[in-house]
Amino acid sequence: MGRRRRRRRVDPADATRALPEAIAALSQTLPAGPSPETFRRAKFDRPEAAPALWRLLFRVLSPQLADGASASFSPEAQVRSVKLALRTQGYPRRALAQLPDDGSQGGRELLLALAWLLARGPLPERLLTQNRVQLGDEMPVCECEALASPGPPTPSVEADGCVDIRHLQWLMGKLRFRWRNLMASQQEQCALLGKIHSYTRGCHSDRSLGHLSVTETELLRDPEGGRQLLRRLERENARLQAALEWRRRELVFWWWMDTVLGACPPEASQPTFLPRIPTPGTGALEPLVQELQALQGELREAVEARRAAWEAGGSSGVVPAGFRSHHVAFWTCWWTCVSPNPTWAPPSSLHELDRASTGFVAVNSGPRALH
Amino acid sequence: MDTTVTLLAGSSRRLVAELRDALDSCAERQRQLERSLRVSRRLLRAWEPAETLAPEPTPGPETNEEAPSAACIPSPQDLKELELLTQALEKAVRVRKGISNAGEGNKAPSLKSGSIATSPATRASAPPSTSHRAGSRASETKPPRGIRQTRVPTKDLPERRLLSVGDQACMGQGAGATKPKSGLRNEQIVLSAASQAPEAFTLKDKGILLQLPEAFRKAASRNSRLWAQLSSTQTSDSVDAATTAKTQFLQKMQTTSGWPGPRLSATEVEAEVRHLQTACLLLRLRMGEELTADPKDWMQEYRCLLTLEELQAIVGQCLHGLRELCTVVEQQLGPWPEGRFPRASLPCGGGADPIWSPQLLLYSSTQELQTLAALRLRVAMLHQQIHLEKVLMAELLPLVCKQEPLGPPWLALCRAVHSLLCEGGQRFLTILREDKPAD
Repeated sequence: MGRRRRRRRVDPADATRALPEAIAALSQTLPAGPSPETFRRAKFDRPEAAPALWRLLFRVLSPQLADGASASFSPEAQVRSVKLALRTQGYPRRALAQLPDDGSQGGRELLLALAWLLARGPLPERLLTQNRVQLGDEMPVCECEALASPGPPTPSVEADGCVDIRHLQWLMGKLRFRWRNLMASQQEQCALLGKIHSYTRGCHSDRSLGHLSVTETELLRDPEGGRQLLRRLERENARLQAALEWRRRELVFWWWMDTVLGACPPEASQPTFLPRIPTPGTGALEPLVQELQALQGELREAVEARRAAWEAGGSSGVVPAGFRSHHVAFWTCWWTCVSPNPTWAPPSSLHELDRASTGFVAVNSGPRALH
Repeated sequence: MDTTVTLLAGSSRRLVAELRDALDSCAERQRQLERSLRVSRRLLRAWEPAETLAPEPTPGPETNEEAPSAACIPSPQDLKELELLTQALEKAVRVRKGISNAGEGNKAPSLKSGSIATSPATRASAPPSTSHRAGSRASETKPPRGIRQTRVPTKDLPERRLLSVGDQACMGQGAGATKPKSGLRNEQIVLSAASQAPEAFTLKDKGILLQLPEAFRKAASRNSRLWAQLSSTQTSDSVDAATTAKTQFLQKMQTTSGWPGPRLSATEVEAEVRHLQTACLLLRLRMGEELTADPKDWMQEYRCLLTLEELQAIVGQCLHGLRELCTVVEQQLGPWPEGRFPRASLPCGGGADPIWSPQLLLYSSTQELQTLAALRLRVAMLHQQIHLEKVLMAELLPLVCKQEPLGPPWLALCRAVHSLLCEGGQRFLTILREDKPAD
């Protein structure tokens, strides 16, 4: 038991001190975090804890909203939005969906939902990254997403529906015009940026950057704006500090959450009817199926042609023994490096459905026999 | 001859929605660019003089940090003098701006009197609409009176002295002696350098004299340090223990909820589909490479063949996985009216990492930066175009097959479809119909 010196048994007294500190760090790093007292009340499912937790979950699940914008959503709208978002992400407990929409109840369930979100991924870090204060001039690494934001689905456009194809041509022309405008604006922006950088060369004493960025120059030009930037920066620093604190102390929080889960009454297992959530239906998967089938057809043709040519060649000589397996091993290496998610295997559910096919997993892990 | 081609309601809705989405995202991007452009343009113009006096005097060497302003604090009498001079200076600025506004358009002196005459009228109107060009906060009543007093401030020597004092204090040129007397020596230089707008600060001329305030620098360095700490992966015991605790918690959550729940959440389905789309893209690209490669010897030929066979196998597996996904989706979530779908994009570095600190991009000329940005934007536009063409193909090509061929509506449709799909909407075919010559 005492093999690792660093691990020590934590006594309960330590834990009771450490827990409020951990929760304080957590609520400081999250936007709109409630006090540790609220968390404690939530464990005992006290009603006064619920509204603060609904608000917190709303802010956490829709981080793209600006700080003030969440106030424009009514409490009911916030509750519904939180429920939808959690269901979309696959939250396992039904009790949350059954909570009333006025946001007056459900402290414990909300606490569990928050813990579930925290357990699944680095939530505080992700939120901080999304709302990061930009001090330098940044250019996104990948512009593919720049023009690809569908956002909320557009409401039904024209009531009458039927449209002349010339309208489509007109829209397309409009789009081309906007593209040209974008290009021109982008070029101008780069030219101006170059100028600002060259005029402020040698000003940045701190780093090896050598010149000021637009944000920094703007801060010098407009002191009031500069003060606001400084305040934002300091707030972010506080949240970053709290996130580091949280990382150090979170273990005691998880022990506590186990007790919270234990305090819940067990859920009855009859299925309740839940409202449908918008999901990509199979109809939407059809284009992808067709694409893959088309690709498969082309490959089949190419392979047949080449194999026929190879076998008809005759003078090709002897293929060395390890050639094929070496090649296949090289191949799986390529696929692992290049595939969209190198550790991608289908989720266990898919795997369970078809135990016989070890296809997906095998591609990543080793050579397969082709015949 | 009726050549209008009307589409069905369903197709119309989908196509128009897609095009409008594209237009909206372009508009959004344009707005962002315009915002940045406004800021940059403003920075490159002359800055407001009142604001250049505001930033705190920055210390020169680091050792003077404790008492940076000690050297710059003038005596109380000087302070009073400074205050009076500042006011006079501000008035002069407004006057100058008033003159330049009035004088820029009207070169003739007679018109100048005309502007004075009209100024009482402007005095009556409250909103500062005439100051839009200079952007100064001048009140309406000052310019008329100021114009007559034009001569006085320019000849005021102490004012020049103030300017040079202020200049030095703010631009951090001299940490030490900023006594008024030394300013007199620089006076000549200041006078000659600035002709009609001596107080204006332009980035071009004096940009290299700028320095960031101390508080900001400290906060910024702390910020980067904290981000670096946050992104470094720690493998201490506590982190491992926390990870284990989290996994256990998730499992308990799953088991204590009496409901088996969907085996795949909607987000996960979307993510899977995106992966498959990206995989399809990559495989197609790789296939293209292999097919266009020219094998020089038998070994390369054989390799090519093996590669193609591998690709075929992988595509087969992807299809298999996709079909299973379809089954799962249908079983659990039921068929749902089709919505729009996330588009595939090539895997971009750093996308998966939640904490990604920006890396430094160095460029050596503006041309380089422009080329880089232009290429990136072009890639994004091409993505958009590809997606739209796929949608258009899916909706319009069936129509072409359905309509009776060679009739006028069909020709019109073909022409439109051709221009949309083959020419990207840029060019149109001209269709000539040859009538049989009447004999």
